[in-house]
Formats: sequence, structure tokens, C-alpha cells
Amino acid sequence: MNDLKIFSLLEVMQSIRRTLGDRYQSPFWVKAEMNKLNHYPLSGHCYPELLEKRDGKVIAQVKATLWKDDFTRITANFLNVLKEPVRDGISILFAARITFDPVYGLSLRILDIDPSYSLGELEREKQVAIARLQKEGLFHQNKSLDLAMLPQRIAVISVESSKGYADFTTTINENPWKYRFFYMLFPSLLQGEKVTESIIAQLSRIELVKHHFDAVAIIRGGGGDIGLAGFNNYILAHRIATFPLPVITGIGHATNETVAELVAYRNCITPTDLAGFLIQQFHNFSVRLNEAARSLSEEGMHLLVSSRRDTDDLSGAFIRSMHVLLRQSNTGLKDKAGSIRSHSHMYLKSQQQQLRLFTRQTGNVTESFISRAKSGISLLATGIKSATGHLVKLSEKELDSLTRQVSTLDPAKVLARGYTITHCNGVVVNKAAMVHPGDTLEILTGEGTIRSEVTGTGNHTIDNKHQ
Amino acid sequence: MSEKTNYTKAFTELQEIVSEIESGEITIDQLSEKVKRASVLIRICREKLSTTEEDVNRILKELEGENG
Repeated sequence: MNDLKIFSLLEVMQSIRRTLGDRYQSPFWVKAEMNKLNHYPLSGHCYPELLEKRDGKVIAQVKATLWKDDFTRITANFLNVLKEPVRDGISILFAARITFDPVYGLSLRILDIDPSYSLGELEREKQVAIARLQKEGLFHQNKSLDLAMLPQRIAVISVESSKGYADFTTTINENPWKYRFFYMLFPSLLQGEKVTESIIAQLSRIELVKHHFDAVAIIRGGGGDIGLAGFNNYILAHRIATFPLPVITGIGHATNETVAELVAYRNCITPTDLAGFLIQQFHNFSVRLNEAARSLSEEGMHLLVSSRRDTDDLSGAFIRSMHVLLRQSNTGLKDKAGSIRSHSHMYLKSQQQQLRLFTRQTGNVTESFISRAKSGISLLATGIKSATGHLVKLSEKELDSLTRQVSTLDPAKVLARGYTITHCNGVVVNKAAMVHPGDTLEILTGEGTIRSEVTGTGNHTIDNKHQ
Repeated sequence: MSEKTNYTKAFTELQEIVSEIESGEITIDQLSEKVKRASVLIRICREKLSTTEEDVNRILKELEGENG
């Protein structure tokens, strides 16, 4: 143990300090969560607790120092860029130097904090809160509540002495239309680190007596844009989103809407606007009432007028249709009369025509009969004439023939042809038996007479054919 | 709550009467009765615009009661 080197505590601490000083000669940038700022107003110094968490568990932790001058400068930067002072719970990117004090141990001395990094982190936290509320289906929950037709009874979360609250009450109380509101103040902090829990506490009180109220108004004003980060808090936003009454915000700033405002029933931005919004609801109601009243009187009058007009119209229509009917019957009668007249006219005409036709036909028939008769007669006459001629000719022929026959029968001619006539005792002998032998016969020839004596008779005859 | 219900009910009934008259569903015989009823409803609603019966003390008492 003799060769064992023993250090004093101070020596060790000084050695560590020296080693660290050699190893970390220049400042470096670190990101961490500002768990507690630990600002001491009297000295103006801060002794922050810095953390790093993973999955909600602390995996690294260190004490830090932030001297008054650095803190003042950093705060000014933050207010400028972030509209927020440096406060507990924000993520920071800071320039640090390792310090080691033999008495106080290891700590980081914060030289500077980058406000843009915190801004980005705050924005990221805000987006995370929004995304979470949306995922839970709560983002629109308060918006989907029914606001009373007359949001008359308002639970106000505000600071009594604030300008915003004064703006609100003045606008509400002095509205020229004499609309009557009932409001009750539930005092709360509206700025800084305690905003979230303070507002949540008042919301819980209001919930106890919610049946007395139509809506909650969160009113802030006069604080500028500073200290609104608490309104991006998920827990507060969740409380507002799920609150049983519509929550209307008027927290007065010009930058991006906070999550609390986004999930509220309505964000009116300024307290005066919020009061105006409530008054507008009364206006809307009043306008609809007046419209109803006017509509009633107009429609009632209209109904009276129109029912009178209907009666008039009906009687007018009746008279008109009777006129039409009369006119129609009149015309019908006229038409019938005309039709009868024209029909009888036509009938008469056709009868006359027929008669004329008949007459003409009768005339024709007679004439044709006569002419036919005439022509028949003339035909007959001609026939007769020709027949007579014919007959005459025929007779002449016959006469000729007769004449010829007669001429052939002439005894002279007969005698001339050789025939003779025999007489006996003056009688023409044509039978042999008439004579007897010895009788004297006188025979006449064509030229001269012969005397002869009968010696005998015979039976010889001539064939009669050639008579 | 019942107060709120009253004027809301009155307003709803009023709207119904108006739309009935506007759409010509009302006969001339019903008109007078409906207009009379509508006048009452309009009066109820108009009164509501300028009056409220809430009382801070009563609410405070309720809050104390809940807390105690």
C-alpha cells in the first residue's frame, strides 16, 4: 500500500476539471429538453435542469447554468422569433461549455439558445397534438355541437383586469339593440407556463354548472402575441375539444392559430369579435323573427287577396265559359241551319238536275224513238221500194218466161214445128177411137189442109214427159 | 335549460306556421287562428332577446355545494 499514490479530493476534482478542460476546449451545440428553467428573479441567473427522454424515460440529465446577461439576451431573441420566452418544457438547441467545479461538480454553462430550433420544435409539438386529436376523432367534436339559437349565457374564462375582458363586456353590455346577455367570469391565468392547468381547472368548474350556460368564452387580450404556446398543449386542446358546451376563443393574436383555437367551436381571434359573434347570433334570430312576422302578414294578406282573386277568377271563368257555351250553341244552331239550308239546297239542286237529266233523257228517248221509227220507216220504204223493184223485175222475168212459154204454145208455132190438128166431122180428134175406117179426116198443117181417109187405128202413144 | 327549450320550441313552431302559410297548406278558415298563435310565439321569442333569468349567486351556490 506504500507505493500507493493517494490524491486529495481537490486534486481529483482539479484533475477532472483539467482533463475536461483539455478535452472540451471550445463550446459545442447540444439539444435537450428544458425541464426546469429555475430562474431566480433576484439574482437574474438561471440554473436549468436539462433532460433527454426516450419513450418517456429519462436517459440523460444534467444541471446547467445560464447567467443573467446571457439569459436577458436569449430571452430577447426568443420573444422576437418565437413570441415566447424561454420556459419549462421546451426543446432547445444551445451552445454550451463544460464546467467542472470541485464543489458544485459537473454542469453545462449555457452560452446561447437557438430560438429557431425551439420554434420548429414547438411547431412540431403542435402538429403532433393536432394529429393526435384527429386520430382520436376529437378534432371536430366541439365544432359539431349545436350552439343555442341565442347564445345568451356565457361562462367567461379570462382575467378580470385584462383589456380583453373589458373589451368583451363593453361590447356585450352596450349593444345598441338592447340584447340581454348573462355572463359569469371564471378567472384564470391566460399567459405563461400555468395557462394550461389554470384553464383546465376553470373548465372543470364550468362543467359542474354547465346547465346554466350556452357557451364558454376564453378571452385574452392586451398580452400581444407572447405566451401562447400553452394553447398548443395537447391536454388543454383535448379538454376543449371534448367539452360539453361550445367553446369560443378570443385570445387575440395575429400569428398562426393555436391548437386550442383550432379545436374550439369557433375562433373569433379578438374579444371584441367574440362579443360581436354572440350579438350576431341574436341578430340572426331577430332577423328570422322579423321575417317570420313579415311573412305572416304578407302571406296572410296574400292568402286573403288570393282567395278573393280565386273567387273572382272562378266567377269570371264561369261567366266566360257560359259565354263560350252560348256562343258555341249559337254557332251550332247557325251551323245546323246553314247545313240544313245548304243540304236542302243541294237536294233540290240534285233533284232538279236529275229531273233535267230525266227530261233530257226522256226527250232523247222520244226523239231517238221517233228517229228510230223514222229510220225504220225509211228503211221499210227503201225495202219496199227495192222489194217492189225486185218484184217488178221478177214479174217481168216471169212474164218474159211466160211470154216465152206462151209463145211456144202458140198453135201456129206448134204447127210450124210439125204438129198437126186433125178434125173429123168438125171435131178435133185426140183419140184414135174417135174415128173409124173410112171416115174422111181434115188435117190442118202449118201451111195448108190435107184430106185423108181412115184405113185403120192403133194404140201407139207419145211419152208425156215432154209436155 | 327549460327556458332555452321554451324559446327554441316557440321559434320552431313559428317557423312551421310560417312555412305552412307560405306553402299554401293553410285554408282561409285556419288563417286567423294560426296568425294569432304566431303572434304569441313571436312575442315569446322577442322577449327572450332582452331578458335573462340567470343569477350569478345561484350558480356560485351550486359550485360551493358541489365542492363542499
